[in-house]
Amino acid sequence: MISARSARTHDSIASSDKRHIDMIVEARSLTKRYGDLTAVDAIDFGFEAGRCYGFVGPNGAGKTTTMKMVYCIARPTAGTLKVFGLDVCEQPREIKAGLGVVPQENNLDPDLSTCQNLIVYARYFGIRHEDAAGKCDELLGFMHLMEKARAPIAALSGGMKRRLVLARALLNDPRLLILDEPTTGLDPQVRHLIWDKLLELKERGITLLLTTHYMEEAQKLCDEVLIMNEGRKVDGGSPGSLIRKNVPAQVLELRVDLAAAGEAVARFPGMEHQRSGQNLYFYSRDAAEFDEIISAYPGAERLIRPASLEDVFLKLTGMEIR
Amino acid sequence: MNKGLLSVTPAFIKVWRRNAQVFITLWKFNIFPSLAEPLLFIFVFGLGLGSYIESMEGVPYIEFVAAGIIGTAAIMQATFECTYGSYFRMKMQNTFEGIISTPISAQEVSLAEITWGATRGLVNALLVLVVLLLMGVLHRWQAALVPVIMFAAAFNFAAIGVFVTSRVAQMEYFHFYFAGFILPAQFLSGTFFPIERFPDAVQAVAWVIPLSSFVDISRSLMLGRHDIYLLPEAAWALASTLIFAELAVRGMHRRLVE
Ligand SMILES: Nc1ncnc2c1ncn2[C@@H]1O[C@H](COP(=O)(O)OP(=O)(O)OP(=O)(O)O)[C@@H](O)[C@H]1O
Ligand SMILES: [Mg+2]
Repeated sequence: MISARSARTHDSIASSDKRHIDMIVEARSLTKRYGDLTAVDAIDFGFEAGRCYGFVGPNGAGKTTTMKMVYCIARPTAGTLKVFGLDVCEQPREIKAGLGVVPQENNLDPDLSTCQNLIVYARYFGIRHEDAAGKCDELLGFMHLMEKARAPIAALSGGMKRRLVLARALLNDPRLLILDEPTTGLDPQVRHLIWDKLLELKERGITLLLTTHYMEEAQKLCDEVLIMNEGRKVDGGSPGSLIRKNVPAQVLELRVDLAAAGEAVARFPGMEHQRSGQNLYFYSRDAAEFDEIISAYPGAERLIRPASLEDVFLKLTGMEIR
Repeated sequence: MNKGLLSVTPAFIKVWRRNAQVFITLWKFNIFPSLAEPLLFIFVFGLGLGSYIESMEGVPYIEFVAAGIIGTAAIMQATFECTYGSYFRMKMQNTFEGIISTPISAQEVSLAEITWGATRGLVNALLVLVVLLLMGVLHRWQAALVPVIMFAAAFNFAAIGVFVTSRVAQMEYFHFYFAGFILPAQFLSGTFFPIERFPDAVQAVAWVIPLSSFVDISRSLMLGRHDIYLLPEAAWALASTLIFAELAVRGMHRRLVE
């Protein structure tokens, strides 16, 4: 998809090139090793402007490492990574000027107040003090933090800190906003607020790149989801297409006692299923096919629901704990 | 792309300003404790011990030891700032990670830390200099140049500090650094008596410690001496500063941008 503005700017360039130029992030065989451990293993992706991309995957899958390479604080071991068409190894400064970053761990400056955090950070981007003060008010308002403007960081709750980090990431009007687990550990109110703000930013044309452990969040926000496991890209596509491609449309969740769980799986070999302890998940295109199972376990707790991204995630990355 | 000092742009001053801003809000906690040691040294060595020493190298002992006390004050402050202080900002507060996610580079953060450590050393040296001035220990206008030398001395030790910080796996390693290098530097560098009193082997080691050169140059300024030896001393002071600054900046880049 080519935005009207860039299409005008690059009128003279062949259309295949246009597409290339419009790529905000592009990775080829991107690899990151820490000693013997391969954190990111030859992954490819390409992100277009104005859309929202999500990385999901179990703990240790390599999401954060990938984000860090995009925002130029981790160096790729092999492969190429371009952001805004610039190589991360060659022009990190130019790239970072156009990025907003919400890291997995908050790194607010505890020695400074809420407002000072923004003012000092704005300086790093070369924003003039007069402009920074106005920007600070605007962003604290945007994130509903106005009444905490003078508070020390230690006086902010977890949700407030997260909103402040997000406000800080917007100081330089980034073209690309990178969010590493933006809503982990937050209450539903804050989570909904952040979702709302992120969608608003996307409507303004900012490209979003996020990681999350909440499939609901990925489904709600992302145009495209990339599933990682053990450093590799397992699958990718729109949430809807990933579901259609990987799991039948209906799910039966059944909780039986431990002895019955193994036997139940064996009794219906024709049906796709997953098991986690006493919980069984059966998948089918047609919910009517569950009738036989349900009648076999009349007393069991059960739920029939449409398949979700979570089912895809569990199917592709496995049920076991990392 | 250059990974060392040559890659640094004036943007590093923004990080220096961040540190200065924090320092100013906490100035009472920062200034007074760091003055305790130099004031104690003036009292114990200059006045206490000094009353038993007729003169050293032809001047009253307090005038001899003044350069050593100022030099020690400068490098100790720079060292604390760029070891425990920098490490705390880097590992506990993740401040550096936040900064290098902006157009500021890891090299600029490192140079800012060094320059900030040097600034703190300079502030300390100036305060001690004022105390000595009020005590009537300083007689020559050349003493006005001592702060420049002290800034350089503090910069040198700040650079070594940041280099060490870029290498340590945990804060406890600084205990070794202080016991193995800073404490000896404090006492072996011609600070409290001339290096010539040591056996030859120790003298050689003492002159390698950059503080020796900085103290000797400062002392010469304060006492109005000129000596050809000041040239190689100045050369080593400058060269070691550049070497350590380059090592620090590269080491920190390797550490921060893994
Ligand atoms: N600095 C580092 N040094 C050594 N190993 C590292 C480093 N950073 C990450 N790793 C390893 O790389 C792998 C990927 O880690 P990463 O943080 O990218 O995972 P993640 O997908 O973000 O996980 P989570 O969901 O838990 O945040 C892990 O095995 C981790 O231990
Ligand atoms: Mg992570």
